Amino acid sequence: MSYYFAIIGTKDNPLFEHEFGTSRQGGDGVARFREDARHMNQFIVHSSLDIVEEVQWGGGQMYLKHVDSFRNSHVFSFITGGNVKFMLLVAPDTHNASRASSASTARSSTYGQVSTYNPTAPSTEEPIRNFFIEVYDAWLKTIMSPFYQVNMPVKSPVFRGRVAGAAKKYL
Amino acid sequence: MSSPVKSPVQSPSPDLESSSVFPRVRQVSSSTFLPYRHSNPSLSSLFASTSSLPTSHPSSGSATPTPSVIAGASTTTGSHNGSDQTAPTSSGRRGEPRDLILRAFVPHVGVLASEDTEEMMREKGFVEGFLELIRPFGEKVPGKVVIRDSIGSSRSWEEYGLRFTGLRDGLGAPKPPIRRSLEATMDPINGSPETIRPMLSYARVGGDISQVEDLVDRHLAFAESRTEPDDQPEDYPDPKSPFSDTISPFYTLYLRRLLSAFPMTPHETFAHPVACVIAISSRIPNPIDELRRLYDSTNTGERRLPPWVNNDYLRYYVLVHDDDHDDITKSMALYEQMKRKFGLHCHLLRLRSSQCVPSDDDSLRLPASEWVSASEELAEIQRREAIYEGEDSTPCIFESDATAIRTFVRELATQSIIPSMERLSALWNEQVVSRRRGLSGRFMSLSKRWAPFGSSRTSSNPIGSLGSTNSNSNYDGLQGFYRPDSPEAIMRKLADFAFMLRDFKLAHSVYDLLRQDFSHDKAWKYHAGANEMAVISALMLANASTPSSGPVATASTSSLSTSSTSSKFRLETIDNLLDTASYSYITRCSTPYYALRCLCLALELLKLRVTVNTAAADSAVTWASKALELGLVGPLGHVLLAERVAACYTVRPGLGMLRYGSRMRSAAFWNVLASDHWIRLGRYARADHALIQATKAYGSDDVAGMHSEFPHMKEFVDQLREVITQNRGPTALDDNGEEEQDVEETEELLDMKPHRRSLMGPVPPSPTKLIADGTTLEPLGEKERPDQDGFGVQELSKSDMQESE
Repeated sequence: MSYYFAIIGTKDNPLFEHEFGTSRQGGDGVARFREDARHMNQFIVHSSLDIVEEVQWGGGQMYLKHVDSFRNSHVFSFITGGNVKFMLLVAPDTHNASRASSASTARSSTYGQVSTYNPTAPSTEEPIRNFFIEVYDAWLKTIMSPFYQVNMPVKSPVFRGRVAGAAKKYL
Repeated sequence: MSSPVKSPVQSPSPDLESSSVFPRVRQVSSSTFLPYRHSNPSLSSLFASTSSLPTSHPSSGSATPTPSVIAGASTTTGSHNGSDQTAPTSSGRRGEPRDLILRAFVPHVGVLASEDTEEMMREKGFVEGFLELIRPFGEKVPGKVVIRDSIGSSRSWEEYGLRFTGLRDGLGAPKPPIRRSLEATMDPINGSPETIRPMLSYARVGGDISQVEDLVDRHLAFAESRTEPDDQPEDYPDPKSPFSDTISPFYTLYLRRLLSAFPMTPHETFAHPVACVIAISSRIPNPIDELRRLYDSTNTGERRLPPWVNNDYLRYYVLVHDDDHDDITKSMALYEQMKRKFGLHCHLLRLRSSQCVPSDDDSLRLPASEWVSASEELAEIQRREAIYEGEDSTPCIFESDATAIRTFVRELATQSIIPSMERLSALWNEQVVSRRRGLSGRFMSLSKRWAPFGSSRTSSNPIGSLGSTNSNSNYDGLQGFYRPDSPEAIMRKLADFAFMLRDFKLAHSVYDLLRQDFSHDKAWKYHAGANEMAVISALMLANASTPSSGPVATASTSSLSTSSTSSKFRLETIDNLLDTASYSYITRCSTPYYALRCLCLALELLKLRVTVNTAAADSAVTWASKALELGLVGPLGHVLLAERVAACYTVRPGLGMLRYGSRMRSAAFWNVLASDHWIRLGRYARADHALIQATKAYGSDDVAGMHSEFPHMKEFVDQLREVITQNRGPTALDDNGEEEQDVEETEELLDMKPHRRSLMGPVPPSPTKLIADGTTLEPLGEKERPDQDGFGVQELSKSDMQESE
């Protein structure tokens, strides 16, 4: 699993971006997005803002769970009180050799089964919720800085470290 | 799951494009290597359907206007009859795909002409005989057609058509060559003795996706080659106009060719002949015997259709009178005799036998047939490319002949075919369906043994060991069809008739009944077909019954205005049906063509629903992306579908003034994807078009130029634009200035990611790297997965270090 985490301001501007891989199941915490497809993450996250804007009025929850998917990337979202969106894109690792070979056979054998990853299962949603909450905590503390203005990109290494820590802890 | 884009993308030179785009095996591959001749007017008239303005609805009217213009250049043509005018239909532009679907599912009429008739037609200049002459005229029955539906109310339709085919055309399977050559020897229509077209062995049958893609690619190549010199491509909508919901002419063509020339199969009866026109000419010495012989040959002879086709179709007898040589009084007498012998389904068609040349006074080019199969049109393009001089080889006919044929078609449709279809539907509805639907019918479905039709099955059922109901079904699992006299087959035929008569309510109810029966019998192909048509008829019904009102802003599934359709039209129901249909088509029957047809039709119809129910757009997108994920389409279909997805997102209305919940970002995203794909296919004009749509969608948001906030996105879009600009010549992009100042802004943002790809050089990087998350596309291009060698690790740690400093 590779993760792309972005914090998006009120004007669809990215305030913070971070990529990391899973630390579960012996993962080394390194994102394995394909180098030539990295811009896709931004496109996907950006396009799922559409869905976020639609569902944010529905529940009153801050954690919007799984909002969108494109191919086999899934997007989870969390919205803060200041209309800042946390977007987390989850993509399975695309380039282990076994998957490439199975892709051709999978077409005939399985139908519609993109991957075994189930984005709506509670076991997937809960860690992401915890991750979001911890990041939210750090986020609030960061933007309380008197020098921070709305929609200003966050460059604080402390915050980045907090996000990385939360990622390591939960994802 | 992966669509087969395996070829490395060629260097962006417009000349190479058509040779290396398709990695698929092509039947007609030789045709695509021929050079294009831009100055050939006969060729360009073939491409008129896509190169004309998209606002001039390319599928309306029976003739593309270009041929008559060419004829008019040499001489004064006679005035056109009403059918040639492209009158806007009552449904208007909003229902354009719906109109296309209406016109695709029309009764098929087999044509069988005697040898002397064919001889006369060859004298007239129609090498392929009678069918070639009358086929274009069948596509639009002149005047209004009144059809009575099952509850007795009449409705008149402006556009109604018939599809004239050779009697066995629909059987020519696209693939096997042995079969086709066999058929050519058997069929006097296909294999004319002169063999004037020796190189053309095409099938008048559709259902081959790769051929459809080939054809659309030819049209694209033509459009590119034509519009490249001038700056303003005329075949694209004005970029300045607000989101034009115009359907791209190439997609229309794609859809039309998908729906052209359905193969004749057991599981659906659209391609089965509803009637057969048996034609003799006035030259024949013993006409009645010849008619008898032809009639018999449709029943027992070599023209007998396979056992799963109901052979009780209507026979319509036509006497072709030679106006130039023969005596009309004799023909009248013969005609009277025919009427006495064969009943009322006769017609006397008066034609002139001499060849018509374009310089004649009242000459008229034979209108092009719109619903030819993809392979046939490919062959025609190939043939015309072989002609050096720009001489249009379309045969001409006299105005009087055209009038006579139009009268004939109208009479055939309104006096014979439609009444007999109405009669049969009423009969079957009463005898078969109501019995099945009533109380006893429910038992019948459980115990078919006692049904009056059930005993017709003789052979044992190989899959029948599972249960008592299966062993008693009418389904012949060994050969995979229902006998045409079994109630299931009759019901399917009834439903198809009702669909062709545009009585969607009846059609839907019968399809719905059939679904259960077929799944019970494990007749999977039938099952898939019934599911597909249940969806389509429900959507047609829903689209017909709702007035074109303004967008209703409800995100939930809104109820319909009419209560009768509300139960039938629910998105969940539709989704379920579609799921079953595509699953059965793909997994159980491995017939991707039908699956694609089903999904494309559903996509278009769901998109039309968007004004009533916004969630329909999401559903449409779901199914389109499903078609993409399943790899049903080739590279070209992939782009066209991606553009459709973008269009679906574009039309989805949002809530309130800020348009919350609209899908502009997604629409832009898909347009970018489409643009990138077009570049890979080497179609820069289309890529440009898609990119303009994308930037419009991005820019129309409240925040101007917001896409530049994301460095990678901006960079990518800029790359695309650069590649397009370089390959299209100096097509001035008017927003260049504003882009430049965006670059400065983003430089600061880019600091966050010190190791972005430094591809923004003067050399256009090949943009062959998009959409590569591995599911649908293989990685392209030269650098294969650079982060396998730990590059990704390096980068991340470096960037982390920099950040922490």
